[in-house]
Amino acid sequence: MRSHSPLRRRKDLTLSAIAVVLLILFLLPLYWTLVTSLKTETEIFRIPPTLWPKTLNTASYAVQLEMGDFNMFRSFGNSLVIALCAMGIAVVLAVPASFAIGRYRFRGKKLIILGFLLTQMLPVSVLLTPMFIIFKNLKLISNWLSVILADATIGIPFSILILKNYFASIPRELEDAAAIDGCNRLGAFFRVFVIICIPGIVVCAIFSFLYAWGDLAYGMTLIQKQALRPITAGIFNFLGQYGTKWSYLTAFAIVTIIPVALIFLFMQKYIISGLTAGAVKG
Amino acid sequence: MKKLLAILMCVVMLTCGVAGLAAAEGKTTVNLWYYWENLSHQAELDKIIQGYNGSQDKVEVVASYIPFADFKKQLSIGAAADMLPDIVILDNPDHAAYSAMGIFADITDKVTSWDGLQYYYPGPMNSCMLDGRYYGIPFGSNDLALFYNEDMLAAANVAVPTTWDELTAAAKALTTDKVYGFALSSLQNEEGTFGFLPFLWSTGEDSYHLNSDGGIKALTLYQTLSTEGSLPKEAINWTQGDVMNQFSAGNLAMMVNGTWQIPTMRANITEFKWNVTYIPKDKEYSSDLGGENFAIIASGHVDEAFDFLMYATDPTRLASYIGNFGYIASRSDVASQQYQGDAVMQQFITLMQYAQARGPHPEWPSISDAISTAFNKVITGIATPADAAAEAQAVIDGIVK
Amino acid sequence: MSYLRKLVRSDRIAYLFVAPALCYMLLLVGYPILYNLLLSVQDVTVKNINNGRFSYIGLDNYVRLFTNDVLTTSIVNTLVFTVACIIAQFLIGFLLALFFNRAFRAARFVRGMMMMPWMIPMTVTALMFKFMFSTNVGIVNQALLAAGLIASPIDWLTSPVSAMIAVIAANVWIGIPFNMILLSVGLTTIPAELYESASIDGAGRWQSFRHITLPLLRPTIESVLVLGFIYTFKVFDLVFVMTNCGPVNATQLLSTYSYKLSFSLFKYSEGSAVANVLFVILLAASLVYLKYTYTEEEGM
Repeated sequence: MRSHSPLRRRKDLTLSAIAVVLLILFLLPLYWTLVTSLKTETEIFRIPPTLWPKTLNTASYAVQLEMGDFNMFRSFGNSLVIALCAMGIAVVLAVPASFAIGRYRFRGKKLIILGFLLTQMLPVSVLLTPMFIIFKNLKLISNWLSVILADATIGIPFSILILKNYFASIPRELEDAAAIDGCNRLGAFFRVFVIICIPGIVVCAIFSFLYAWGDLAYGMTLIQKQALRPITAGIFNFLGQYGTKWSYLTAFAIVTIIPVALIFLFMQKYIISGLTAGAVKG
Repeated sequence: MKKLLAILMCVVMLTCGVAGLAAAEGKTTVNLWYYWENLSHQAELDKIIQGYNGSQDKVEVVASYIPFADFKKQLSIGAAADMLPDIVILDNPDHAAYSAMGIFADITDKVTSWDGLQYYYPGPMNSCMLDGRYYGIPFGSNDLALFYNEDMLAAANVAVPTTWDELTAAAKALTTDKVYGFALSSLQNEEGTFGFLPFLWSTGEDSYHLNSDGGIKALTLYQTLSTEGSLPKEAINWTQGDVMNQFSAGNLAMMVNGTWQIPTMRANITEFKWNVTYIPKDKEYSSDLGGENFAIIASGHVDEAFDFLMYATDPTRLASYIGNFGYIASRSDVASQQYQGDAVMQQFITLMQYAQARGPHPEWPSISDAISTAFNKVITGIATPADAAAEAQAVIDGIVK
Repeated sequence: MSYLRKLVRSDRIAYLFVAPALCYMLLLVGYPILYNLLLSVQDVTVKNINNGRFSYIGLDNYVRLFTNDVLTTSIVNTLVFTVACIIAQFLIGFLLALFFNRAFRAARFVRGMMMMPWMIPMTVTALMFKFMFSTNVGIVNQALLAAGLIASPIDWLTSPVSAMIAVIAANVWIGIPFNMILLSVGLTTIPAELYESASIDGAGRWQSFRHITLPLLRPTIESVLVLGFIYTFKVFDLVFVMTNCGPVNATQLLSTYSYKLSFSLFKYSEGSAVANVLFVILLAASLVYLKYTYTEEEGM
């Protein structure tokens, strides 16, 4: 065994090196966006392109502070409120529902699961037109409530399908132990299950947040007031106005990615577990 | 749990409420939508509005910028959702369509009793009308011309083109690794149609007959320019502002663009000399009568809005700002005094005699869509000029009977 | 009180737990779907949406749409886009999954980092690729020119075929991590002993791949492909932002066409008719997928 060690180590190094090169190639679009946002407009048009900013230009970010309705920091805040509220609704509704599906036997359960599965696969564009007309009749166009309600419909089925597996995987003995301690099932739900399933709930919260954060269709259709629009719709407007002003556009893109990148860096483990659990076991 | 939900809802309602409460107390807020992407235009408009808001204490005009590509969408969705402003400054060919839809207030009584009416040119004024009723007042007029980089033409020893053959030859000769010979906004919307129509009209055809010798000839011109590489294909994604920026950056030798770009170009271009001339012709010189109109929304504060219009169209006031927009006033008493000694702008005023208006037709946006789809297909090589013309004609024939 | 206690102890309390989420989804998803069917047999446009003067016109919207080229173009485009994306992202994802499943130190970390594209809002991805594929400043053209592969810049987003290639490339970039991670998980479930005994029997790498990996991975592969179909078929933001469905419908998909009809042309009823076409196709695909998971997962 020992005699293999240097050979194995070299192999390990080679593979790791290849992996890093692959990673760099794969994430090149992100790097390119970041450096472009820090270049001056003339440097962006330089041929051959410069691989990093020769003169650091942060004006593309700073200029945003002075822009009225298209202010990216304002739309960042809008997105934050929308995504957090949608996340709240999704979690609050999904936790009890998935608890019931994971722990109880009742008639119509299969049908309900099927229903949630189907809605998870439903494209936004199918719902857009009817939702617009329904919310228009409710006088909720250009009101955050409409986007929040709509965005939560993406997070709820996803959360339920993930969490039901978490709840189902808790051993029966724990529930029995709780029952001996004098909890009924309802008490057990709060004292035992919810606490144990916190990692699962975190996954649901993250995904519900990200779905709402990334939504463009609902945001730009249901909100017509520029000042209330989420950041994705802000980017889209910006493209219309500054079609070729790439320093502004890429700066906008970077600001939009920031929360995603932060969540990703700190919660990577949760995200990957959620993705695989949600998609494979669906 | 329910409590949490309730708190969440409250937070949402509250934030929405705060956002809507920005208006000053006691004054009626009159909202205005416009689409000028140009910062100097925005600043000029702001000056007019600030002047008005300071001149009285009853009405507060608040302007919002809506991107041109989004403008009609916002107007239609706003109409559907009952969320329109009080005034819009819109592209004049679209005016009739929205009047027909019932979005704009019929201000015939107010306009006919107004002494300013007699001074307005019939072309721009007609674009505000539908079935003999007035639905707005012109803001100002503009037209299109051929801009050329004098230094580049001189360096390549190319004469200023006056015919289509000269145009294609010159564009080809001026195209290098870094410079395209010629460009104009060819977006698949009104902006693109605006640039195309002078070529169509130059053949003697009107806007409703694309599938004709003239129509196909005009489309073939686009095809030739595109296949020879002198017209960048990216022009199908360029706004007129983008084209102007490319020209200003020295990436274009010639372009078709409008009067309103001139203030910005004069401020930005220092490195080369440029000039304007007629758009090269097939049979006759032609140009497009562009411009914007004020319209008042029927469901809005009509009286307050009209009061602002009276302020903004006052002849002395109009004379003080219309030139800064690069526009030609739509009323003769102001226009006749404009741009004295300004050779470039005088050229545009001369061109006005060749300028035709689009429409007015209540279905103009759909007609325009058919036309712009046709030249987009030709530029990108999806269809031949003849096929594209036939397809567009089928659509137009379905509308114009 | 005793009733309440009984309820709390019985299984029927489950309904109480499920009810809020279920009602929410019925109201905000179920009702719109039904409303969409109704809308598609009416003639609602911007002109009559506020006065309510619309009438039932039966299947006229569908007939009109199916006799018009754009719907057929959109269906064909959607299929081309979906199939090309699935093939490319599956193959690349599979190769990467195989690579990262070899035991080496950086594998876990690097594989994790590669999930990034999947998380980024599609609007941003679209913007990044729009920039990279732009004719004059795009790094793609610059790289190809520098490598001598092309003589002059390609008009990626303004020529029909290359625009489709560019949006496919962008979507594949998003889809690779998704395919890779699911296939990776599938690979780890294959017992290592199987490979060991196969190599003792003298099986080469290709043979063990062919006879062990592929058959055992089959359920995962099937579900990855069907999920890929569902997720790709409904893509909206990416194409809408990157090419705005152009040039002239060359990248028009069912989802974007539905949006265009409803919110650019304001023919709400026609937009909902296209949405229903999209819905029916996806429903069929979803049911196929669910059949797999149902037969696999016992006692669900």
